[in-house]
Amino acid sequence: MEYTVEVKNLTLRYGSFIAVDNISFNVKKGEIFGLLGPNGAGKTSTIKVLTTLVPPTKGRVLISNYDVEKEPRQVRRVMGWVASEVILDDDLQVIENLKLQASLQGLYGWEENAENMLEYFKIKETRNKKVGGLSTGMRKKLEIIMALLSEPSVIFMDEPTIGLDVGTRKMLWELIRDIRKKHGVTIFLTTHYMEEADDLCDRIAIISKGKIVAIDTPEKLKAKAGSSIITLEVNQDFKASDLKGIKANRKGNEINISLKGGDASFTKILKRINLKNVDSLRLTKPSLDTVFLNLTGSTMEEQESSKIQNMNFYATIRRARS
Amino acid sequence: MLRETYALFAREVKKTYRNHAVVVMMVIQPLMWLIFFGSSLTHLPADLLSSLFHTSNYISYLLPGELATGMVFIGMFSSMSMIQDKRFGFLKRILVTKAPKESIFLGKVLGAASRGLIQIPVMVVTAMLFGVIFHTNAFYIFIWILSLFLMGIGLASIYSVITMKSKDWQTPGVVSNLINLPLMFSSTALFPATLFPKWMQILSSFNPISYAAAIGREALYGGQVNFLYFGYLVFFSALFLGIGFLASRRWLVAE
Ligand SMILES: Nc1ncnc2c1ncn2[C@@H]1O[C@H](COP(=O)(O)OP(=O)(O)OP(=O)(O)O)[C@@H](O)[C@H]1O
Ligand SMILES: [Mg+2]
Repeated sequence: MEYTVEVKNLTLRYGSFIAVDNISFNVKKGEIFGLLGPNGAGKTSTIKVLTTLVPPTKGRVLISNYDVEKEPRQVRRVMGWVASEVILDDDLQVIENLKLQASLQGLYGWEENAENMLEYFKIKETRNKKVGGLSTGMRKKLEIIMALLSEPSVIFMDEPTIGLDVGTRKMLWELIRDIRKKHGVTIFLTTHYMEEADDLCDRIAIISKGKIVAIDTPEKLKAKAGSSIITLEVNQDFKASDLKGIKANRKGNEINISLKGGDASFTKILKRINLKNVDSLRLTKPSLDTVFLNLTGSTMEEQESSKIQNMNFYATIRRARS
Repeated sequence: MLRETYALFAREVKKTYRNHAVVVMMVIQPLMWLIFFGSSLTHLPADLLSSLFHTSNYISYLLPGELATGMVFIGMFSSMSMIQDKRFGFLKRILVTKAPKESIFLGKVLGAASRGLIQIPVMVVTAMLFGVIFHTNAFYIFIWILSLFLMGIGLASIYSVITMKSKDWQTPGVVSNLINLPLMFSSTALFPATLFPKWMQILSSFNPISYAAAIGREALYGGQVNFLYFGYLVFFSALFLGIGFLASRRWLVAE
C-alpha cells in the first residue's frame, strides 16, 4: 500500500499541555481523509506538525516519504496548505498573490496552469482585483488554487468550510471531490461538522482531547454505532399485543424499535405491527454523532462547551493573577 | 534564495507605494524637521554659524543628517510589518513554502531600506528652495545614497530582529523608541561632535548615523569623501545582516 501521509506515535506539547497525544494513522494515496473533532481537540495542532510549521515533540511523520523533521523543505515542496483562517495578502491582486506563491515555491511555467484554474474555479474575472475586495468563498477558492499551484501530492485543509454558508459549503465539497479526481491529489482535511466528514471523506479519524478514538470509513463507523431505530408515537389504546411480539422499548407514548436486521427489515416490521393506534412514526439512522457519543461518552457539543467553560475559568484565573 | 527574496521585497514595495498616505507621511516627517528645525537657527550670528557648522546655512548642515535619521525612523516603522505578517498568519503562509527563512528577513530589510530612499529627492529639492547650494558630482551622490542605504540595511536588520522575537505591537515600538532617540542625539546628524561631552563623542564615533551624515556633507558640499567612513557602514550593515540571518533561522517560526 502506498501512503502519502504516515503518522506514528505523534505527540505535540505546548509547555506541559499535551495537545496531541500519541496518535498514529496513515493516509492512502488519492484518499480524502478527515480528522473530525470538536473545538480544541487538537486538529490544527496535528496539521501544524504535518505541514512542518512546528516540530513534533515525539513521534515520526512522513509526507510522501519525507520526514517533516529532517527534510522539511522537501515536505513543503510536495504539499499544499489551506489554513482555517484565510491567509492572503489583501493589498495585492489575485494574480499577484499567485505570482508570489509561485516564486516562493520556486515554480516555473506556472502561469498557464494558474489561468486555467482561475477559469475552472470560476473566479477568472477577479484576476486583477485586489484580494481585499473578494467574498469569503472566492478567497477560499484562491487559497485552494495557491495550494494546487505547485502540483502537490497532498493538500492539507484546516476546516475548509468554516464560515461559509450552506450553499458555498456544498459547492466547495464538490470542488474538493473534483480536484481529487482531476489532479489525483491526496486530501487531508479537518472538520468539526459531522455532515462534512460523512459526505466528503473516504475515511475519518475521530479525535477527542488529543487522542484518536476511531479510524474507519464513515459507513463502518456508523455501523459500529448500532442499528437504525424506528420510533412510534402511540396513543393510550395501543396495547403491547399490537407489537406482535417484536422487541421494543416503551417510554410513555414513545416506542423505540431497534432495526437489528438492517434497513431491509423496516418494511417487514411495519407490516407486522398493528398501526391502528400509532399516531406517527420516524426512522432514525445512526450518525457520526452517535459514534462520537459512544466512543467518548459525551457529544461533540458537550465537549466544546466544557472546553469553553475551561477557557473561561483559566481566563478568570489569569485576570485574577494580573 | 534570490528569487524568493526578490518576490518578498517586491511585495513590500508594492504594498508601500499603493498606500499613498504612508508614502506622504514618510516624506513629510523628515521634511518638517528640515524646515522647522533647520530654520530655528536662522538668526544665529553668521560667524558663529560658520565656526560651528562650517556653513552659513544650517539647513545645509542638517540635510544629510536629517536624511540619515529619516532612515532610522522609516527602518523602524517598516519592520513593524513583520508583526502584522505574524498576526494575520502571512508568515505561516511563507513558512510552509520552500523559501528559506533568511529570504523572509532579507526581503523585509531591503524593503525598509529602499523605502527610506523615497525621501531623498523631495528633501534635496526642498533644501534647494531654502537656498542650499550643492558642489558635487554623480559618483559622490551615488556613494552618498549607497551609504544611506547601507546604514538603512543595518538598522532595519536590528529592528527586524526585535520584531521577530515579539508577538505584540507595543514591545517593538517601545524598544525601538528607546533606541531611536539616543541614536539620533548621539550622532552628528543635528550638531557637530565638538559640542558634545566626552562620553557622547565616544558614542557618536560608533554611531552609523554620524558616518552617513559625514559622508553626505563631504559628498554634497565639495569635500573629499572619507572612504574609511564608508567602510565602517559596510561593516555595520554586514554585521547586523549576519546577526539577522542567524536570528531568522532560529526565531522565524510559527507560534
Ligand atoms: N500555541 C499554543 N500554545 C498553547 N496551547 C495551545 C496552542 N495552540 C493550541 N493550544 C491548545 O491546544 C489544544 C488543541 O488546539 P487546536 O488548535 O489544535 O484545536 P482544534 O482541534 O484545531 O480546535 P478548533 O476546532 O477550535 O480549531 C487546545 O486546548 C488549545 O488551547
Ligand atoms: Mg483548529
